[in-house]
Amino acid sequence: MAHFNKAFQFKTRSIIVLLTVFGFQLTAQNWDVPADKKAKNSYIKFDKTTASEGEGIYTKNCASCHGNPSKGNVLKSLKPTPPDLASSGTQKLTDGELFYILNTGRGLMPSFKDVLSESDRWKVIAYVRSFNKSYVQVLSNTDPTKSDKVKVTMVYNHETNTVRVQVVAKEQNTSLPLKDAEVLLFAKRYFGKLPIEKGLKTDESGVANFVYPKDLPGNKLGEVELLVKVNDEVYGEVESSTKLKIGIPTDKPGLTQQRAIWGVLAKAPYWIIALYLLGIATFGVFVLYLVKNLFDFWKKGQQ
Amino acid sequence: MLEQSTKDKITSDLLRSIRLTNSFKAWMAFLTLSLFVCLGAYVYQLNKGLVVTGLGDYVSWGMYISNFVFFVATSLIGMLISAVLGLSGQKWATPLARMAEIIALAFAAVAGLVIVSDMGRPDRLLNVFIHGRIQSPIVWDITVVTVYVLISTLFLYIPLIPDLKICHDKIEKLHPIARKAYKLLSLNYTGSHEQDLIIKKLTRAIAIFIIPVAFAIHTVTSWLFANTSRVGWDSTIFGPYFITGAFVSGTSAIVIAMYFFRTNYKLQEYITLEHFDKIGKLLVLVSLVYLYFNLNEYMVPGYKMKKFDARHINALFTGAHAFLFWSVQLGGLIIPIILLIFNKMRKPLPLLIIACCVFVGGWFKRYIIVVPTMEHPYLPIQNVPLNFKVYSPTLVEILITIAPMILVLLIVSTLAKIIPIVPIQETIEELEESHD
Ligand code: HEC
Repeated sequence: MAHFNKAFQFKTRSIIVLLTVFGFQLTAQNWDVPADKKAKNSYIKFDKTTASEGEGIYTKNCASCHGNPSKGNVLKSLKPTPPDLASSGTQKLTDGELFYILNTGRGLMPSFKDVLSESDRWKVIAYVRSFNKSYVQVLSNTDPTKSDKVKVTMVYNHETNTVRVQVVAKEQNTSLPLKDAEVLLFAKRYFGKLPIEKGLKTDESGVANFVYPKDLPGNKLGEVELLVKVNDEVYGEVESSTKLKIGIPTDKPGLTQQRAIWGVLAKAPYWIIALYLLGIATFGVFVLYLVKNLFDFWKKGQQ
Repeated sequence: MLEQSTKDKITSDLLRSIRLTNSFKAWMAFLTLSLFVCLGAYVYQLNKGLVVTGLGDYVSWGMYISNFVFFVATSLIGMLISAVLGLSGQKWATPLARMAEIIALAFAAVAGLVIVSDMGRPDRLLNVFIHGRIQSPIVWDITVVTVYVLISTLFLYIPLIPDLKICHDKIEKLHPIARKAYKLLSLNYTGSHEQDLIIKKLTRAIAIFIIPVAFAIHTVTSWLFANTSRVGWDSTIFGPYFITGAFVSGTSAIVIAMYFFRTNYKLQEYITLEHFDKIGKLLVLVSLVYLYFNLNEYMVPGYKMKKFDARHINALFTGAHAFLFWSVQLGGLIIPIILLIFNKMRKPLPLLIIACCVFVGGWFKRYIIVVPTMEHPYLPIQNVPLNFKVYSPTLVEILITIAPMILVLLIVSTLAKIIPIVPIQETIEELEESHD
């Protein structure tokens, strides 16, 4: 969670910086959420527990701009001003719309798709809804416990240069290919995940083919760790990762592996250690010299 | 040879101040009381955390760190007067050496505490030693400050040994414990030629050794800034810039001390008009050198006006910090230099007033170095309220900043009550030499 937050903060900041640089200024307008997204519902029940979990997530990720719901303490210096999420305007939006807004973001409103997991995103909404007395939830038919049944396979095709991702659910005796599931493919990098292409949807056989760049560096053996995120209407969210030998073999010690100024103490450059110790030693010798002489001095006085 | 009566007169003159007077008690009571008020502010900060200060994400180094730099700077005076002048045979400075050492020791010792006041969680101080990275100037700084305090203590103590013996022998009404302490600390000094030689040898050795240490302490302090890539700090001359600045504040501090000890302890015969004249000239010299470094430090980025530098320079020259900047440069440096060229201005009272301006200017100069840079980051945090971006110290912060100054006064006053502020033995020796 902690590093998620960091990543988020960094992201928000850079987004904000960029937007300011380009002089973006949006005024409140409709969100124009596609009908299918608008109708999406949460598989998580909005109750006291999920709302209070959502409150924690809200405090860390949203409160800096939106303030405390119903208190009106939003960050007014932003243009457009982030609405108070307890306001009737926001509460009129469907769960699907709220979810869509969280996923896509707009202008200064960041996208939380890669920052918060789907369940966390729903929990924040549970918290937002807890300020609406007249709200009645419609649950979706997604069963999150079903996600255990989903198997993801990744195969690289050298001729077409594609990574073939297949998503299949194992139900009792049959395997059921998941059609129209959203698939995101990432390559793990030194800092974070690199998205490969845009997200795709699976076809009838549960397959999505990603064109893979030929020039990505891998580890010493040329291996790259791939991460797949699947999101299915019924089976929910699934993540899976594999190592494939599809990168250019590279053998560069990491920046924190060498001795360097920025390293931890154990990775301090030798010259700094030498200089420092030399300084301390010189001082030590000098103090010994003084003490010895003072001792002589004292003894001379005794005679 | 000097007549015995002259020696006795010198001894009794210089020992006269070592006794408890009512005015001293009142002065100490006043200092202690003020210190308690400030400590109250500190306890408050300790409870609430650094939110009670004007510090934040933007300006995380404010008054406290400016204060720290100023304290380290002023402590360099010991090295300048006792070591540099001493080694170069400037005999006139002998009566000032002890005063300079006391000031140095007090400022250096308290500087360490000043850093702690900038910590929201001082209980984590030990972590610097446990987890400190040897690559970090902070670790070097702590190391060098400690070394300098130790060396300064010895630099004060070793030449003091003969005087401690004199205190033991000559002070009449003295508490037996105090007499014992003088005896113990004088390490069996008998006045033998051999022992005198050892003292001479060690004093000289420390005088040599303390010069690189003093350079190190303030250069490292400058590196706390210069090793960071930020406008206004990212400079290759920061080391000498800080050192020369230190000589200016230090010299002004010793002028102030000279004046008060001379009038309060009736030392007009020992701290003479000539001393004021010479130290005034020294102040001009170090100020000119410092002015030269200032010229470099502002002229070079001011000529190029690179994007981010320009924002900083404009804030200093014509913007939000302009008043302070020009007051410090004019009132704390340029006008004093011009005034001090005139003989009349190097008389005790005018010199005292000028030195006070330089001293206060020196403090605000550190403020000007620390704070505006923090207000001008390369990647500003967006959409934060104005009070995040602009630093304004709180009352609590000001009180906690004053506390170390009071502590220094306490230390200096106390030391000046238990040891002769002008070296007795050396004054006699020097007179003898000039008679021969
Ligand atoms: C960097 C500031 C910022 C953060 C952080 C932020 N938002 Fe927003 N949000 C905005 C702004 C600005 C808008 C208005 C955008 C627009 O209208 O174009 C907005 C709009 C919204 C809306 C639409 C409300 C409406 O009535 O139109 C919702 C819902 C929302 N945010 C939810 C959230 C949630 C939940 C979080 C935390 C997970 C969050 N926001 C975090 C700035 C932020």
